Amino acid sequence: MSERIPCVGDLLRQRGVSRRDFLQYTSVMASLLALPPSAAPALAEGLAKARRQAVIWLSFQECTGCIESLTRSFSPSLEDLIFDFISLDYQHALQAASGEAAEAARRQSMKDNAGKYIVVVDGSVPTADGGVYSCIAGQSNIDMLAETVADAAAVVAVGTCAAFGGLPQAHPNPTGAVSISTLVKNKPVVNIPGCPPMPQAMAGTLVHLLSFGKLPELDPLNRPRAFFGETIHDRCYRRPFYEKGMFAKSFDDEGARQGWCLYELGCKGPVTYNACASQKWNGGVSFPIQSGHGCIGCSEAGFWDRGGLYQPLSAGTTDMGKVIGIAAVAGVALGAGSAAIARKRQADYAATDKKEA
Amino acid sequence: MDLLDFARGPALQVALAVFVLGTLWRLAGVLLLPRLRDLSPAREGAPAPLAGALRTIVRRMWPRPEFAQATMFMTINSWIFHVGLAVVVFGLAPHILFIRNLLGLHWPALPSNLVYGVGVVTLASLVAVLVRRLRHPVMRLLSHAGDYISWLMTALPVATGLLATAHIGARYETLLALHILSIAALLVWFPFGKLMHALLFAFSRGATGIRFSHRGVEV
Amino acid sequence: MNAPASTTLPKPNFDRQGEQGYQERVDAAMRSFVREFGVTAALHMESCVRCGLCAEACHFYIATRDPKYTPVHKLELFRRAYFREASPFAPVVRALGLVKKPTIDELQRWQELIYDSCTMCGRCTLVCPMGIDIAELVKEARHGMYKAGLIPERLALMDRTARQWGSPATPAEDLPDILQEVSAEHGVPIPCDLAQADILVTAAPAELGDHTKALADAAKILNRIGVKWTMHQEGFDASNIGFNNGDMELQERLTRALVDTAVKIGAKTILLPECGHAYGAARWEAAKWYGAALPVRIIHMTEFLDELLASGRIRVNKIADSATFHDPCQIVRRGGLEAAARRVLAALGFELIELQDAGVSGFCCGGGGGVVSNIRATPLRAKVFEMKKAQVEATGAKRFVTSCGQCRITLEQGAKNTHWTKKTESLLELVADNLAQ
Repeated sequence: MSERIPCVGDLLRQRGVSRRDFLQYTSVMASLLALPPSAAPALAEGLAKARRQAVIWLSFQECTGCIESLTRSFSPSLEDLIFDFISLDYQHALQAASGEAAEAARRQSMKDNAGKYIVVVDGSVPTADGGVYSCIAGQSNIDMLAETVADAAAVVAVGTCAAFGGLPQAHPNPTGAVSISTLVKNKPVVNIPGCPPMPQAMAGTLVHLLSFGKLPELDPLNRPRAFFGETIHDRCYRRPFYEKGMFAKSFDDEGARQGWCLYELGCKGPVTYNACASQKWNGGVSFPIQSGHGCIGCSEAGFWDRGGLYQPLSAGTTDMGKVIGIAAVAGVALGAGSAAIARKRQADYAATDKKEA
Repeated sequence: MDLLDFARGPALQVALAVFVLGTLWRLAGVLLLPRLRDLSPAREGAPAPLAGALRTIVRRMWPRPEFAQATMFMTINSWIFHVGLAVVVFGLAPHILFIRNLLGLHWPALPSNLVYGVGVVTLASLVAVLVRRLRHPVMRLLSHAGDYISWLMTALPVATGLLATAHIGARYETLLALHILSIAALLVWFPFGKLMHALLFAFSRGATGIRFSHRGVEV
Repeated sequence: MNAPASTTLPKPNFDRQGEQGYQERVDAAMRSFVREFGVTAALHMESCVRCGLCAEACHFYIATRDPKYTPVHKLELFRRAYFREASPFAPVVRALGLVKKPTIDELQRWQELIYDSCTMCGRCTLVCPMGIDIAELVKEARHGMYKAGLIPERLALMDRTARQWGSPATPAEDLPDILQEVSAEHGVPIPCDLAQADILVTAAPAELGDHTKALADAAKILNRIGVKWTMHQEGFDASNIGFNNGDMELQERLTRALVDTAVKIGAKTILLPECGHAYGAARWEAAKWYGAALPVRIIHMTEFLDELLASGRIRVNKIADSATFHDPCQIVRRGGLEAAARRVLAALGFELIELQDAGVSGFCCGGGGGVVSNIRATPLRAKVFEMKKAQVEATGAKRFVTSCGQCRITLEQGAKNTHWTKKTESLLELVADNLAQ
């Protein structure tokens, strides 16, 4: 019996989503993905014909913020559709099953969709002491990751923890936390960093995969250029204040209330690649800078160890005081020493001259 | 640790340490050499030695009228890049924050666009003095490798700063890292070349000021 | 190298004295150079930024446009000695071979730069943005050149003479005869070798040779004011060729000759002739050699005339002519007597028309620091003289006055060689000739 497997278009029709709504969604998605307008119909057609994609979502050393962000997306009804576009066969926060049944479901999906399923990972993987610091069902994260990606089509590392190591990797990194791409070398890995990532970044990448069957254009750090191609600084509405040199000096001072640039309060916008300043959060309502707090650079590697969230970008990150103190004392001592050597030479020469006179 | 973290972290730390150590070594090594006291009587009405020193330190900022014509290019051009460097270093907000982080001092910043313009003029002025050094027979005879290194160490921060602000040549965080690394290089080189004149000028002018004011001559 | 004189080989621009081997000469020079580096010299060596402005002030560079005459370049070997042996990083410099030790060839070639093309006039010192006293450092470098036996032969000859006679001009024992002759010729008593006097009066080669009238002029004024004064065989030549050549021993001896003689005869004042380097040696450096503040007052003839005129002890008849003044480097730029000289000129009633470069920034006559005695430097000096002559002519002034005997001789030589009819006059002579009753 060959039951026709429903495609996304079938499912949408079943749920009463009009073609008009669907086309609107896909044209919004196309623009978010920075695709040309002509790609919108292709996106729509591809998506309508797409089969429900098997997705296995692994959660390692994470805080669950990434899935929370994804579910708090700006048009819940459309995001719900995403969960109809994909067959989310394993996800700790959302799955109904638990315990051995959940693990069995994972392995079954891997078998049924071998070579075709997508693995989404959030959280970093601990590697110290054989990886004992995070185990699920008696299996270390390292082993579960290796086992799960073996037959995967692609790996999507969401969140800064999975993409770059994130909070667990912050100094002194007691668990030996590493990013997914450190461990997965033979499968395509997309990084969607952020702490948490923007919902449209996660959704848009998945939609692109679904409809075009391939990854969107990536930057050298494997981040989708559509969402991570520009810095916050280059799209920040407060940029004119930066150029004019008008800075808030403390939270809630006059400059802060006037909405001036937050560089002096530690904003890392200039070196942070993300879409917060252009696409904003919560349905385009706001983003941290607009709310009066500098960007903490949460989508960049090592942002926890960059010398303090409130230290401006131009400040050094290490404590200079002691080192400079020692250097100063050493310098004066060496100077006194060399002056003594010079004087001794002069005295010796005087003696030589006297002898020869 | 990426390049920017390296630049803002260990690179700056080491560079500042070398800067402080080398500068104090050189200053102490010179100032602790034997001192000759002038036992001749001063000209009647001569100012106190310190006053004589200070007067010369200030006067030498500008040439005497008799020399103005012959020294016009170097005088004007040097003023331009010295003032330009000061405006850029002490007037740009990120730089003031760097100093605040180190020393706790801070002051109001100039508009960043204005500083950028001054930076362009400063770089042009630096290029002009390099051309002069390469072409003028006197300067060619006098100059050695250290002079060219000093020029490079001064010009690179200006150039990389301009490039970083304009986002030309590489990703911003790379340009910023290169800018900070160029500052680190400048700091490491400073005690060992002629850039030390930034500190020595006062002592050297002052010494001559003392000698001549003792004799009743205003130099 | 002692190559035989040949029409094909160029004549080397250096002389050698003594029998030292090459390495000994280099070592002697280096030892002397290194010993010069106290704080001030070291600061100056550290501070040069190679801006090239010193060249623009130096009359030798201006007259020839040859970059080798750049003042700070004259100090190159001195600089190397500093960085190799006395600078704060010297041990590292030596270990890494960052600065080369001067070679005998370089020292010999540098003789010309240090002696032929530098009058130690100090104009370079005025223009240097770092305030480096280049002239003073050249003088210190000369100490090393002397120790290495590498000074111009003419200057070496004068040095040997001065060591023997106490003066390069005349033996001490001839002084009484010379003074006798001058006294007779001009009808003016000139005391010599008095056992007690208040002022010890001294002279310089100019007064003892070409311009002996100056001795009579001084005598006339001193007698007029009625002080007890004398000249003395044991300390009569203030010009101090040791100061010029870099012969420190001779400098000390000649300095002490003056001071000790003054003390011996109970004089409280030593009156210097119109001479530039005499002033530098006695007024500013003597205390260093003496080891303590001098027990006597050193006064230059120009100062002396200024004080006498200002206090009314002498009066002069006014000369209603226009005049221009050549400022001797060692008494004006490096001595502080710019105003004093002008007060004397004003007292004489001259309408003073200043040279384009006058006062502290006036151009050197081109003969100071031994250059006028250094025959090898004559062509160079002639070029410099052209500049001075042009400036004098440009003023259109009738009279041309100066107050240094060596400047006067240098300018007169230049005038003779270029058939310039302008007479170089002496301030002292003008005052003496125009003393009012």
